[in-house]
Amino acid sequence: MIRGDIRRAFRLALRRRDRWEQEVEDEIKLHLALRAEALAAAGASADHAYAEAVRRFGSLDESRTRLLDAARHRERHMQRTEWLADARQDLSFALRTLGRRKAWTSITILTLALGIGATTAVFSAVSSLLLHPLPYPNAGRIVLVDKQTTRANNTGIDVSISVGSKELLAWREQAHSFEALEPYATSTMSLETAGEPTEITAALVTPTFAAFAGQQPLVGRNFTPADLRAHDHAALLGESLWRTSYGADPAIVGKSLHLDDSIYTIIGVMPASLRIPSIVHREADVWLPIDLAGDTSNSGGYSVVGRLHTGVSAARATRELDALLERVQLPGMNSNMFHTRVQTPQALVPFRNSLILLMGAVGLVLLVACANVAHLILALSASRDREMAIRAALGAGRRRLIRQVVTESLALASLGVAAGVFLGWAGLKLIVALRPSALSELSAASLDGNALALAVVLGAASGIVFGLIGAFRNARRSPNDSLKSAATSASHSRRHEHARSLLVISEMAMSAMLLVGATLLVRSVIHLEHADLGFDPHGLYTLKVDLPHSRYADSTSVGVYERQLADRVRAIPGVRAASATDVIPGEWYFRIGGLQVQGDAPPPAGTTQLIHFSPVSPSYFKTMGIGLLEGRVFDDSSAASDQVLVNAGFARAHWPAGHAVGHRIRIVYNGNGAWMTITGVVANVATMGPMTQSSDPMLYGPMPPARPSALVRTQTKMLARMQAASGSVGLLRAAALSIDPRVRVTIDPVERLMAESISEPRFVMLLLTSFTVLALVLASVGLYGVMSYTVAQRTREIGIRIALGASGGRIARAVVGRAVALAFAGAAAGLIGAVWATKLIESSLNSVSRTDPASFAIGAMLLIGAAVAASVVPMRRAVSVDPVTAIRAD
Amino acid sequence: MVRSAASPAPSLPVLKGTLDLLVLRALSWAPMHGFEIVSWLERAANGSLDLDDSALYQAVYRLEERGLLAAEWGVTENNRRARYYKLTTAGRTHLRAETRNWMQYASTVTAILTAGKDAVPAAGT
Repeated sequence: MIRGDIRRAFRLALRRRDRWEQEVEDEIKLHLALRAEALAAAGASADHAYAEAVRRFGSLDESRTRLLDAARHRERHMQRTEWLADARQDLSFALRTLGRRKAWTSITILTLALGIGATTAVFSAVSSLLLHPLPYPNAGRIVLVDKQTTRANNTGIDVSISVGSKELLAWREQAHSFEALEPYATSTMSLETAGEPTEITAALVTPTFAAFAGQQPLVGRNFTPADLRAHDHAALLGESLWRTSYGADPAIVGKSLHLDDSIYTIIGVMPASLRIPSIVHREADVWLPIDLAGDTSNSGGYSVVGRLHTGVSAARATRELDALLERVQLPGMNSNMFHTRVQTPQALVPFRNSLILLMGAVGLVLLVACANVAHLILALSASRDREMAIRAALGAGRRRLIRQVVTESLALASLGVAAGVFLGWAGLKLIVALRPSALSELSAASLDGNALALAVVLGAASGIVFGLIGAFRNARRSPNDSLKSAATSASHSRRHEHARSLLVISEMAMSAMLLVGATLLVRSVIHLEHADLGFDPHGLYTLKVDLPHSRYADSTSVGVYERQLADRVRAIPGVRAASATDVIPGEWYFRIGGLQVQGDAPPPAGTTQLIHFSPVSPSYFKTMGIGLLEGRVFDDSSAASDQVLVNAGFARAHWPAGHAVGHRIRIVYNGNGAWMTITGVVANVATMGPMTQSSDPMLYGPMPPARPSALVRTQTKMLARMQAASGSVGLLRAAALSIDPRVRVTIDPVERLMAESISEPRFVMLLLTSFTVLALVLASVGLYGVMSYTVAQRTREIGIRIALGASGGRIARAVVGRAVALAFAGAAAGLIGAVWATKLIESSLNSVSRTDPASFAIGAMLLIGAAVAASVVPMRRAVSVDPVTAIRAD
Repeated sequence: MVRSAASPAPSLPVLKGTLDLLVLRALSWAPMHGFEIVSWLERAANGSLDLDDSALYQAVYRLEERGLLAAEWGVTENNRRARYYKLTTAGRTHLRAETRNWMQYASTVTAILTAGKDAVPAAGT
């Protein structure tokens, strides 16, 4: 090994450019001389012999150039080969070195892997949601178009007002900003097959949609305008349904499909890759055509996706669509009541801000991990001073040593990346498993090329940086120093300790920031879970029954079913109250318009805002357990009823002294709106879950008499309050089916609906807490490392102190005190950072201020606690120092 | 056609790629410097190779680059500094394989050139 090194070193010195050029010259000269001598020996004259030698060599200038070329080529090649051989040698040396320090190596790799793994997992999850929202060609120009009320929506819940067919036609014909504007809608339908009816999702699109999405039918043909005019119920199957339920029958075209009691003719099969924006991570089961021109009523609320022309901004498109809306003459409308909103598909992503927040948090974890690895490298390089010095003394060049150290770091980083990618994969699985129901799109997340590239870049960057830290640390010192005893390099080790203390403090600071954030979120979630909803969700169930249009086409048949259902549900043992309603917890009903109290000036023309308005039956309040504060529940449920109940929030805002009953209010839309008389005031409730403001104005009107909707189905909803643990939930379904076995019944416990409503903060809290624990563990390992090192360095000093009579308690206090001091410094910096950083989670906090002192205190205490725990082992070691051995050593 | 019997032996132009093989063969006996290789080849060919001396050095550099030769500075009998070339293990293996190929090639070509018309079987279609 050493012989190889020496030989190579010798050769390297020789191989400079002028050297090998000279060699070629020498070789030519020698050749000509030897040839001339040989010719002379054979009898030629000296002059003639040399001339003949040159002649036989070939034209001298030309062949010299050619030989120099060949030699240059050879040298370059051989240097490359040599470099590779060195690299191979460095690598195998590095692996052997790492193998000798198993504990150190595994901790370093694990630390790196945790940082990289957490980052890759979160990046994959987030990028699958944020970066590739819609799978259409020219994704950069895809936008979503909807309408918004003229007054800002303060509800905290995004409401997209769909676009009518007339408006859409005007846009499609006249808007210049768009290459294409495609309406879409979804509908849940029952597919009648031989056995049970199955629930399927139908996507409604125009004939041009497939081309817009860059797709075409797999089998058969797309819709044509003729399909629309003929009203002959043409349908395309989704690829999965075709494969699973029809065995990928190639002769499927022309067969019929029984959907919601209507017969459709299958004209083809759409590929699985065709998606509509509202269910982008899942394929529609059936595709049905939208007939825009045939829909003269401007009904049919459509969502809209469009592709802008190159260079057109969303703002310009919005202005154009707004202007076109003004010009659309809708029957009976005085003025346009809405604004257009054009937004990028990223707006579709639920939890967008939370996801970005998590990216930030995981970034902090990565920083902590990197600081820790830097630590470990510093610790190692300190212990390798002698080894490096010996190698330098034996003649290894500085470059060679740096290269060796960097190679070692890169080897370490590669192992870290490999382990990190594995952890990232596992972490992603965990995140997907923990995902809230609102983030179902997350199930499609996978470790993609971007995430792998990220892991590799992180690993390579850390490898090089850490390698250089170690290399320069060593390079700064003369070998002479290192070869002398440790005692002579006290100043050096102090500087070294400083660096490590700074690293630990920054790790502690980052952990403190995360701790404060996590504590705030935990407290916020606890608040949410125990928030007073204004009603008792326990034992409350919602019952939704879908009545097929074919058998429930008129109000009589629907009414009969509803009355029977109410009777049968009430008859179930364990049901204490039941109530038909149009709105159930977790759903939100609103009317659009301006709210006017009689006596006040009417809202300006064209004012629209979202006003909670729940159509309920009188027994709703009893079933829900909502207290009546004033007046009475309406007693008139007829179509002509003008009775309304308001919540306490609304009543207090307008009649702070009470006596809201008897006043009249109305919702003005398009200049009209019938007056309603307040008959009672009820308590504030948060039926959408604890995150909504229960004191926002909320109105309750009587349910309109049953009428079949223009849509394909009627849904009957009912609330039932069961006795606790009555176990009769199955009876609810049985009751609904006993009237008509062919209806579809959905039953949900309201408790679960309410829990789901806070699934976002809970998910974010869970992930942030995991990252915080990770960061804290890493920081504690870092602190442990520094404390152990300090104790090891000062063994002699400690020994002397003990010999001079210092008690074990005093030594212990000194060690723990040092750890706590470091933690304090970190906590101070971290808490100051948290004052700023908590701005980022402010929007995720409920009932907890972002400067909540308790959270800051808890965060600091946890950090100090971790610091104390991390210093226990070094403390024990310090206390048990044997003065005699310690003083005699070295 | 009358065969001219002018020079003692006609000079053969060296076929492309063959020179490498000849150099390897020369070095299979012992390490040599450039002029020794040339002299050995001339002796072995009875002076019938038509070749610039510089072409030999190009071949040697090429072979060195490919790792078939290794070079080392040494001293000649007359105490002059010269670059000595020797076969590497890879070079020796290469020489064996290429020699076999060359023999086979030569014998095949010879067989074809000397065969009568009927000795070649008709190609099946």
